[in-house]
Amino acid sequence: MISDYLDRLGGALSFDRALAHRVRVEIEDHLREGTAADPSPDRRGAEKRAIAACGDPRALAAEFAVIALAKRTRRLGVGVFLGIVGVLIAMKARVAWYALMQCAMSDDVRSVAAFVGSIDAGAFWASLVLGIAGAAYLGGGRAPTPLARTRRFRLLCAAATAALTVSVISDGVLTSIRLATADESAPYFPVFSILFEISCTVVLIAMIRDLAQRATFTAALQKM
Amino acid sequence: MLKGHLDMIVLAALSSGPAHGYAVIEEIRRKSGQAFDLPEGTIYPVLHRLEQAGLLSSRWVTADTGRRRRIYALTRRGARALIERRAVWQRFSEAIGGLLADAGPRGSPA
Repeated sequence: MISDYLDRLGGALSFDRALAHRVRVEIEDHLREGTAADPSPDRRGAEKRAIAACGDPRALAAEFAVIALAKRTRRLGVGVFLGIVGVLIAMKARVAWYALMQCAMSDDVRSVAAFVGSIDAGAFWASLVLGIAGAAYLGGGRAPTPLARTRRFRLLCAAATAALTVSVISDGVLTSIRLATADESAPYFPVFSILFEISCTVVLIAMIRDLAQRATFTAALQKM
Repeated sequence: MLKGHLDMIVLAALSSGPAHGYAVIEEIRRKSGQAFDLPEGTIYPVLHRLEQAGLLSSRWVTADTGRRRRIYALTRRGARALIERRAVWQRFSEAIGGLLADAGPRGSPA
């Protein structure tokens, strides 16, 4: 009977295996202890009472899911901050490397590079502003439910990441233009820095997708 | 009303030392003179939430029965939070006590 209850609880949290495992082990200990403490000789009845005292497994799972979602939401906030800072550092380091290696750009492509550069700068600043707006919302924004709060924050993070992606693509174009026209035989650092920027955005997109999936599962649990 | 004070109740139950969820529930029953008989499942999400907030720490241990068990303990921040909440509650309780003391049964106006 206890195993059935735990299976239902674990099943409801199957979208987060670590949480499901922890909750399952914790609640199992609780139910076994509650059963052992029951003075009745009827063990099946004792299990039944322990389970009844614990409540509906789906309702319990929904409470755990909301708490886990809040944790992931904060983690996404940290991720967006680190992603934006990471891209900024990579951009600045690349510019410093160009100066150090005297890797000048050909005059033929300067106007194109200036245009792409303006898109790059605009997109980066937009991502920064949206990231700050997200952090401010997480810090003090009001919402009717934790799920609504997560959804709004996620939208701000998605917008910040979209802007950051545009900035990274522009960086890639600028780097390609510069390296194609420059006399640089081993452009490891610029290529590495672009790969790093791409990694930052890919990780952020994965985090946003993960949060969206968890929010969907949590909302489904709450509806039941 | 009780639900709004669950955090304080759980922190208070853990003030006497680290404990696992079942022991926390038993401690709440004991300290409240059996007055607070909460639905047992509600305590675990509270423990998780307080841990996330940094007010509790937790670790796995193996109980005498051989089962794995999660033990929760107040962190320094949690102990401070309990002191603050206790002071707020004390003021609230005194204020309500003062109000109720003046609100004894009186005869209806003639």
